[in-house]
Amino acid sequence: MMTTTALHMPVSALQPESECIIRSLGDDDKTAQRLAQMGILPGTHLRIIRIAPLGGTIEVTSSQGQSFALRQQDVAAMTCDPVSMPLASELVIVGQTYRVRILLGGKTFLRRMEKKGLRAGELVQIQKIGVKPIPIYIVDMDKQIELGEGEAKKIIIEVISHGSLS
Amino acid sequence: MDLSAKPVTVALASIPNSGKTTLFNRFTGSSQSTGNWPGVSVEQKSGTFPLGEYNVTLIDLPGAYALSPVTEEEQVVRDYFLGSPPDIILNVLDARNLQRGLGLTLQMAVSGLPMVVAVNMMDEIRRQGITLDLQALIQHLGVPVIEISAKSGEGLPDLKEALYEVIKDPQKTRIPHISCPPLLEKAFFQITEAIDQSTIDTRLDHTFLAMRLLETENRGQWADNEKVAALTRKWQSRLKQSLHTSFPVACANCRFNAARGLAMEVLGEQSTIEDKLSRRLDHIFLHRFFGLPIFILLMFLLFQGVYSFGAPLQEILSVAFDKSGNWLSSQTMILSLPAWLQSFLFDGIWQGIAVVTSFLPIIALFFFFMSVIEDSGYMARVAFLMDRLMHTLGLDGKAFISILLGYGCNVPAVMGTRILSNSYSRILTMLLIPFTLCTARLQIFVFLTAIFFTPTMAPWIILSLYGCSFVAVILTGIVLKLFRIGGNPEPFIMEIPPYRFPTLRSIGLRSWYEMKDFLSRAATLIMAGVLLVWLLSHMPADVPPASAATWAGQLGQILAPVFQPLGIGWQETVALIFGFIAKEIVVGSLAVIYEGTDLAGLMSSHISPLQSISFMIFCLLYTPCVATIAAIWSESRSLKITLISLFSGLGVAWITSFVFYQSGLLLGFH
Repeated sequence: MMTTTALHMPVSALQPESECIIRSLGDDDKTAQRLAQMGILPGTHLRIIRIAPLGGTIEVTSSQGQSFALRQQDVAAMTCDPVSMPLASELVIVGQTYRVRILLGGKTFLRRMEKKGLRAGELVQIQKIGVKPIPIYIVDMDKQIELGEGEAKKIIIEVISHGSLS
Repeated sequence: MDLSAKPVTVALASIPNSGKTTLFNRFTGSSQSTGNWPGVSVEQKSGTFPLGEYNVTLIDLPGAYALSPVTEEEQVVRDYFLGSPPDIILNVLDARNLQRGLGLTLQMAVSGLPMVVAVNMMDEIRRQGITLDLQALIQHLGVPVIEISAKSGEGLPDLKEALYEVIKDPQKTRIPHISCPPLLEKAFFQITEAIDQSTIDTRLDHTFLAMRLLETENRGQWADNEKVAALTRKWQSRLKQSLHTSFPVACANCRFNAARGLAMEVLGEQSTIEDKLSRRLDHIFLHRFFGLPIFILLMFLLFQGVYSFGAPLQEILSVAFDKSGNWLSSQTMILSLPAWLQSFLFDGIWQGIAVVTSFLPIIALFFFFMSVIEDSGYMARVAFLMDRLMHTLGLDGKAFISILLGYGCNVPAVMGTRILSNSYSRILTMLLIPFTLCTARLQIFVFLTAIFFTPTMAPWIILSLYGCSFVAVILTGIVLKLFRIGGNPEPFIMEIPPYRFPTLRSIGLRSWYEMKDFLSRAATLIMAGVLLVWLLSHMPADVPPASAATWAGQLGQILAPVFQPLGIGWQETVALIFGFIAKEIVVGSLAVIYEGTDLAGLMSSHISPLQSISFMIFCLLYTPCVATIAAIWSESRSLKITLISLFSGLGVAWITSFVFYQSGLLLGFH
């Protein structure tokens, strides 16, 4: 199993409802200093609220309940342990079990996923990356389903434990 | 003012969005004066108020997250503390998020200067059903802590009393200790010892000084003490090697560890709930699809608000000035004066006053609406929405509004750059605003296109000029960014504050001060510009004003070879010189120069349509009016920036008109 101690949240993982815990503020001195002085320091839990309509900029809240805007690449440059991310991000490790946190989408989307057996709280594994449609294994139902990339992007999963970190 | 009152300086310091300015307005009322901090485009505000037998000067420091300088504002605050420590610090905390503000509070508490902490927005936190245990703060910080609401005025008498007590009996503050990793502590200790033994004489605590010395590469004002400086350098390189993070980040870590503990102690088991209203509003205003259309609609309303109310007011003022000017000039006392003096008084001075006054309604309205947008918290949302678009120029989204409002009038737009978060954005934006097609320029274009083009063609010409203006803004922005004018772009990390309902009081005050400020800062330069043009167009005294024989006419003829490749004759060149007062004057001065009533007929016989477009392009891009230049000067306080603005405008205008006219000729138009 792939284990790393330092993870970056790639831009693809920086979607609404994604969360991570800052390990280090990154190399850009000015950005790091600015964040540090605002109290955004290693150990801070970041949650992405939304992406600006034109992209590139994201709104984030910190564990202290402070809301601020910054650019996607600045977050991507930090070392930030992922807590939750979309099912279709580069961070998802093949064979690892994740819990579905939330499905972002309208009622029709929820109903369609429900039919496939996917709802919040379900444990899932991704079986192969780089293929479309994406094969997903739903652990408790012992069932395999396939998801389109667009669908997978709307499914936010969370890491069950950080036990794999060495 | 009581002259026997003893002067006391109180510095008002807090992180941004803590309600500092509201408190400042509450205390100082109408006694405010504004200026710039030496050498930078950061606004300096101060005011006075009496407090018992003392006369307090309150200095509104720019919002800063820390005394370790990252932004220009923080540099200003740091230099202020080191250079001329105030008698007392008045620190404002936002009760809704104590931890965020306590970082700075702790840093200032270490300075050893007497301090009073005001915990603001108590009304809002109480609405959430939360009570704060401020006793914990008082014990840990060792300073008085007062609950207030700057917005409603609650707790202000208590705050004044606390300030009074501290002024009257400034006890040596017990300095809180912030624990740091041993290596840092050792560095602080050794440098503090060196300062103790040196001849350095300061009211600041020596440990505080040691921290400030360590965080800057340049040696600062205590560098003359070789021993301290050498030790600081030694520790700087040692810390660089041993710490995993940079020194300021390591210090921030210690500070916020302490702040977190302190905030938890004050809050107890309660937790501040996030502002539900803000969440809900953001759901609409920052919506993926509706966010931008709503923004565009609001901007449209803002634009309409400023200019549809402003234009009639300007009209009334201008009629009033004309009428009273006519009435005054018909008085026997005036008529007995020599003709040149009469002309100087009415075409020079009176005209100058009229120009200055004409801006007042627009400025008042502009800042009225601007304050609503800013105080409500929507401005931060605009910056978020438009960030991507402005990012290419190294600007943040707030600059978009400034540039957009330039399409109404450049002068308040330049003044509005003050709200931008860093010096780079301010300078770049104020250099770009002059390329926006303001309504005064629009008047010239409407007039000229009506003469030279058919009614179906004219709107397209004007639309193309708008396009030309957009392109000029973007290209100039890219070039200015390339040449690093205004320094380096700052990282974009912006707090998104909760929405608040703006108070009429603070909005009114803001508009009032901006008008006052405009009069005191820009008026003289505008007057000087108007009088200069009067001189050019009325001297020598024995020729008809504005004719070919005047200095302006002669200048126009001297400059003719420069403008000939653009297809602009000397008559239009003179009009361009007049356009420096205000672009509205261009058409009127053309009438004087052509010395005829049928201006349209005369012009169309002199100028070809191609030449007229070339003239309009030049009008669009060249140096904006003297009022804009005055505003750029008063905002930037930099001769370099003002000159760059002046000459980049002329340069861009000349090149664009040249390329346009010459290629027009090549294509067979004439």
